[in-house]
Amino acid sequence: MNKKFYDIVTDVGECLLFLKSVSHCAITNKVSSKLVNEQIWKVTTQSASTTALAGFFVGAVMTVQFTMQVKEFGALGYLGGLATSGTIREIGPLLIAFMLSGKIGAFTSAELGTMKVTEQIDAIRCLGADPIQEIVVPRFIGIIISSFFLLIIGLLMSVGGGLLMGQVFSGITPEQYIRHIPSIVTSFSIFNGLLKCFVFAAVLATICTYKGYTTTGGAKGVGQSVIKTAVGTMICIVLADWMTSYFSDTALSLYMEW
Amino acid sequence: MSSIELKQLEFNFGTKDWGLENINLSIANQESFVMVGPSGGGKTVLLKLMAGLYHPLSGQLFIEGQDFHQLKLKQQQALMFKMGMLFQKNALFDSLTVLENVTFPMAEVTSLSAKEIKEKALHFLEEVDLMHALDNYPDEISGGMQKRLGIARALALEPKIIFFDDPTAGLDPITSRKIVELMLQLKKETSATTVTITNDMNRAFQLADRIAVLVDQELIITGDKEKTLNHSDPRVHQFVRGLMEGPLTGWDS
Repeated sequence: MNKKFYDIVTDVGECLLFLKSVSHCAITNKVSSKLVNEQIWKVTTQSASTTALAGFFVGAVMTVQFTMQVKEFGALGYLGGLATSGTIREIGPLLIAFMLSGKIGAFTSAELGTMKVTEQIDAIRCLGADPIQEIVVPRFIGIIISSFFLLIIGLLMSVGGGLLMGQVFSGITPEQYIRHIPSIVTSFSIFNGLLKCFVFAAVLATICTYKGYTTTGGAKGVGQSVIKTAVGTMICIVLADWMTSYFSDTALSLYMEW
Repeated sequence: MSSIELKQLEFNFGTKDWGLENINLSIANQESFVMVGPSGGGKTVLLKLMAGLYHPLSGQLFIEGQDFHQLKLKQQQALMFKMGMLFQKNALFDSLTVLENVTFPMAEVTSLSAKEIKEKALHFLEEVDLMHALDNYPDEISGGMQKRLGIARALALEPKIIFFDDPTAGLDPITSRKIVELMLQLKKETSATTVTITNDMNRAFQLADRIAVLVDQELIITGDKEKTLNHSDPRVHQFVRGLMEGPLTGWDS
């Protein structure tokens, strides 16, 4: 038990040190924009369809759920605003993070892990280049930037799903659905959603690149890295969700008091 | 000045059951140094320590007179820029074509134009006879071709020190001989210092100015072919002659 706890603490510490070296490299060194753009394109295109599909149904589900609540109060006009606010503040970023975790996180971890066990990373070092700069930073930045694009795609599709379900299930027109979105979706909601999106993507990018980069033990080691990435990102994203919700709401109440 | 110097180097993987201790070695400029020894004895680890890929627990690694592990990352990278390495399992970039594997190092760490890079890459690929496979990916070419591609990539930055980790492993005798001929030819052309690992004693004698045997985590520098064959250490005697009986197999096979 003690050994396992010690291993987890060591792993977390090493992961944070890895994040430090990646951030330092991203800030101080010139990173190839071509490589970053390639990663953004790859991550966005690989996940756009699933994110769009999931976003559409999340919007539909949120609308159905909120309909049951607001119908009693005769406030169906606020349905679009409430569903969209909920999606942008919470469900959207969380959904994108889980989608990316399952698809891009596992892929990146396996890709880097394979490069590690086949000595390709050593080969890059041996050529006088920095593997963090060459292969980790572009993937890291790519995942973070793509998550914002995917958030927009997911959000637009969730509004679409909500509009359709609003008409079919709740009996309100698209105009009624959209009318109160600007008044309920405040700038704080948008900031909160973007902050969560950034934090979740950073957590995912850190864990998947760290687990891939530190893989040992051949094909079995690559498999273990992928599993650890999937489990680690899920736990850490939920933890990060709680932390960002707690801190942003505390910051908001302090600001309101002030 | 030595090209590579190891002083009281100590290394292990965090466990006490295996480790290298008190390794001392000096390799002169333009020397062809060959390491042999039983499998699993730590030759590749020692080679990677020489190349600065592993960090020793204690001791010093000097490359061209500079204490490698005391340097900053940029300075270390500048020294590594002068080294080339052929890995045991080639470590080719599997998502890049044959041509891209050779242009990649030049594109990353030199300021040459794309045209110059391509010209140089084609020159190296011609040297290793791979012009017919430029657009193939590493897993589409044979083991011998992969070795030759690994050599071309190792030469791409015109290094002063080249490490060859078991360059003939898993190859048939003819291909193996071709690779050794290529290494000898390149050695003559580039005047680089070379450090080679092999378990094939004939190839070792062909390539080496000086031979060392790594046995029981001890590096025994034996010298040239004659001195190696007549070395007094019974472990060296058994290994280089491939005897079944001796200290390495518990005397009684």
